[in-house]
Amino acid sequence: MSIFLRFIGLGLILVIALLVAVFVGDQGPWYFAWLIGTTMIVLISVAGTVLFDTQSDNHNSTGEF
Amino acid sequence: MDVIHLLVVELSRFQFALTALYHFMFVPLTLGLTFILAAMETAYVITGKEIYKDMTQFWGKLFGINFAIGVATGLTMEFEFGTNWSMYSRFFGDIFGTPLAIEGLMAFFMESTFIGLMFFGWDRLSRGAHLAVTYIVALGSNISALWILVANACMNMPAGAHFDPETMRLTSTSFVALVFNPDAQAKAVHTSVAGFVTASMFVMGISAFYLLRKQHREFAARSFRMAALFGIISTIAVITLGDVLGRLDYEHQPTKVAAMEGLWETSKPPYEPWILFGIPNDKKQTNYLEVGVPFVLTPLLTHDFKTPILGIKELQIQAGPKIESGIQAVSALKRYSENHQQTDLDIFKTHQKDMGYGFLASQYAPDQDVTKIKSEHIPTIVKKTKSDIYPNVFVTFWAFRIMVFLAIYFFIVFAMASYVSLRREIEKHRIFLKIISWSIPLPFIASEFGWITAEVGRQPWTIFEILPTVISSSTHSSGYMIFSLIGFLLLYSIFIAAELFLMFKFARLGPQIHQEQTSSLQTIFTYQKG
Amino acid sequence: MEYYVIIKLIWAVILCVLFIGLGLMVGMDMGVGILLRFVGKNDIERRTTLNIIGPHWEGNQVWFILGAGAIFAAFPTLYATAFSVFYVVMILMLFSMILRPVAFEYRSKIDQGFWRTSWDWIFLISGFFPMFVCGAAFGNILQGVGYHFIWNGQYFQDESFWSYLINPFAILCGLLSVSLSIFQGGMMLMIRSEDPIYSRAKKYATMAAIVATCLFIVGGIWIFQIKGFVLASGDPAMSPNPLFGQHVITYKGAWLHNYYDYPILWSLPIWGILCMLGAVLMAQSNKPACGWWIGLGIWIGVIGTVGAAMFPFFMPSTTAPDQSLTIWNSCGSLYGLICMAILVCIFVPIILSYTSWCFYVMRGKVKTASIIKDHHSY
Repeated sequence: MSIFLRFIGLGLILVIALLVAVFVGDQGPWYFAWLIGTTMIVLISVAGTVLFDTQSDNHNSTGEF
Repeated sequence: MDVIHLLVVELSRFQFALTALYHFMFVPLTLGLTFILAAMETAYVITGKEIYKDMTQFWGKLFGINFAIGVATGLTMEFEFGTNWSMYSRFFGDIFGTPLAIEGLMAFFMESTFIGLMFFGWDRLSRGAHLAVTYIVALGSNISALWILVANACMNMPAGAHFDPETMRLTSTSFVALVFNPDAQAKAVHTSVAGFVTASMFVMGISAFYLLRKQHREFAARSFRMAALFGIISTIAVITLGDVLGRLDYEHQPTKVAAMEGLWETSKPPYEPWILFGIPNDKKQTNYLEVGVPFVLTPLLTHDFKTPILGIKELQIQAGPKIESGIQAVSALKRYSENHQQTDLDIFKTHQKDMGYGFLASQYAPDQDVTKIKSEHIPTIVKKTKSDIYPNVFVTFWAFRIMVFLAIYFFIVFAMASYVSLRREIEKHRIFLKIISWSIPLPFIASEFGWITAEVGRQPWTIFEILPTVISSSTHSSGYMIFSLIGFLLLYSIFIAAELFLMFKFARLGPQIHQEQTSSLQTIFTYQKG
Repeated sequence: MEYYVIIKLIWAVILCVLFIGLGLMVGMDMGVGILLRFVGKNDIERRTTLNIIGPHWEGNQVWFILGAGAIFAAFPTLYATAFSVFYVVMILMLFSMILRPVAFEYRSKIDQGFWRTSWDWIFLISGFFPMFVCGAAFGNILQGVGYHFIWNGQYFQDESFWSYLINPFAILCGLLSVSLSIFQGGMMLMIRSEDPIYSRAKKYATMAAIVATCLFIVGGIWIFQIKGFVLASGDPAMSPNPLFGQHVITYKGAWLHNYYDYPILWSLPIWGILCMLGAVLMAQSNKPACGWWIGLGIWIGVIGTVGAAMFPFFMPSTTAPDQSLTIWNSCGSLYGLICMAILVCIFVPIILSYTSWCFYVMRGKVKTASIIKDHHSY
């Protein structure tokens, strides 16, 4: 039951996100670009540092950055 | 006699420019560093490694020092519209005040309330909740900037407003038009990502400094990687949005574009060069020592190869009839406000779109009253006013160029930094690290010159082609202005000294500072107890 | 009634609510700043005092910004004129207000005696001065200010600020607002501190509440002697241009005419005085949380009393009384006011809820040991 509710909750959030995206994307393309772009920038830089950790595990012996 | 002293207008402009530029030394770092902190904390929550928590806390400390002055100097800005630009505030408050109030209501409150939790809530909140708080602070600071830029955009490109002769001011007609003004959109994103670039350079520069000294290497290399990736995408976004803004200015603010590009004569497409170097002379209306790249200017601004761009001399010729019509409009408006005759209102309505030029001419009228201009004096007044319709070309031209050159430099630096960081070779390139750590102030300079381009380029108007700067200010005596200017100069110099001192101190001490400060306090505490 | 009149009245009420929020929250922080040197006898006690409001002062300060922003959006003519007429006062207030955030952030960053004592003095000045000046400005406004407008809506000032800024009545109003802020700050300190700060705060808060009661009563009697303003004619739905449509008369004691017309209004000052007496009681009986909420009651009483007396005036003019700024002639357009009112109705409840959540998260007594451990503390 709780899983079902969680799905409904997530579905609702998705629908709201979609509606906001449609409205903002229509009225203000650059605002929309900012929302998407900033999320992307944050994710890429997090991915970069997580990649750093994996690289560290592989190159443990060299100690060079 | 009830007239505005032009000296007071000049001093008010100087004070506003001083306080606004000073305020903006602290804002970009806030805009960007909050999102970098959020990214670092995201990494902490995902990986669970303590080093990311240390990173968040250390950069958070530098952010805190910076944020306090940002808030303090922002207060000045909010008050200065009322204290120094009374005519502007009254004339435009119905539209301009709205985004400022919403900024407080929606963003600033959120940011400032949660910043307390961000610093003090580490032990009291769960990891997830604290991460959410950090994101709220980041979002809050950027939404706050968004509203300020919505306000600024309606000065440059008035939207959702019309003039009401009954109340003698602009009246709000569409909130949606105000918020989704294309200029507001492009400016908000441009400013926000410019903040990202500034913060990336800040983090990357200080990390490079540690790597050079071989201190906190694990910490610094990770921060470097994050900032480099953050910076390269942001720089691309800044340049893209800069291009959008240039095009908007070309469509809506021809005087600004002509001044930015140093165009005295109308351009001859497609050959017209983009001037790399030149010394514009405002008196003689010409450029000295001009060096340019041919075939660049036209496609850069207009995105095609045919359209000519109006030069300042042609814009001046076009302004002549507008000024005459504007004098008619303002005279009719004044008579209407005194007698409420329908005929005057009708005359005003026919000339209404040139009203701003009439206000601009009023500084040359006897007693600053356009109804007192004798008809034989109109040509001389039009001639005098024509020389005022464009901004200072030297300043606008060079401010724009400095910003553009720096943006290109950032692109190169961040691209190289991302490359060497991803290949894990940064420590090999010591000269490059040195260059990066010396580049920390450059994005601040670029941001400041961006504002100078936008706002000096807007002159002689406060509301573009509607209200000129000369009649916008409050009617103070110059004594008041000297008092406040001296006060601001003194206070702000002390602040900047203290800020730089603390920034250098804490940046030099590095992340292990926490323990040191704790131990020194422990000694005081035991001393006082004993 | 016309929509325009209703929305103008709603905005007058919203402005009162914002002023109450400003007095309560900013006043509390200012009060702590004023008390800093008196409740904390050594450095570690002072740091404890600062950290009591440490997580909240930035948020509280936004009430100040929001107050200015709301006046700008809803009553642009008032914003433009009042801020310019009170130029020197406003600038001095700004100087002291911008010193405060800096003092918070910098004071404890360097461990040196002179550095910290200087910032402690700055806390005292930057707490006392803005509260005093805000109160005094209200005192000035009650007595009227000299200004007039020309045809395009530009104001011109008719007297220099020296001639009205400092006078006995304004000083009384200034001291009233300072003592209220000291009381509020004292309550906050009592809620979140332990002895010896607790007992010192208790002493000062009690004193402040007694002083506030006396000043409020004296001010109430004084107002009978002051030349007040009455709007003799003026259509509440008029288009907002101060040049036309109003006739204003002045006579001694005129500020009380609303009270004579609607005797129910007397309940506001009485409520204020009762709250102030209750505040003394709560401080003495060690119930600081109740005392804090009574502080809210006091601000409602004080601002309500002044608002009821001045209604519908914002800033009366002594030299051109017919151009006095009132609720009716200084507001924004119908469309703008409605937009803003909707946003305020959405966001103020949200603000109040997350502010309370922050206070809830940071609840409990501030322990000296935890300040030394926490590297983010002030």
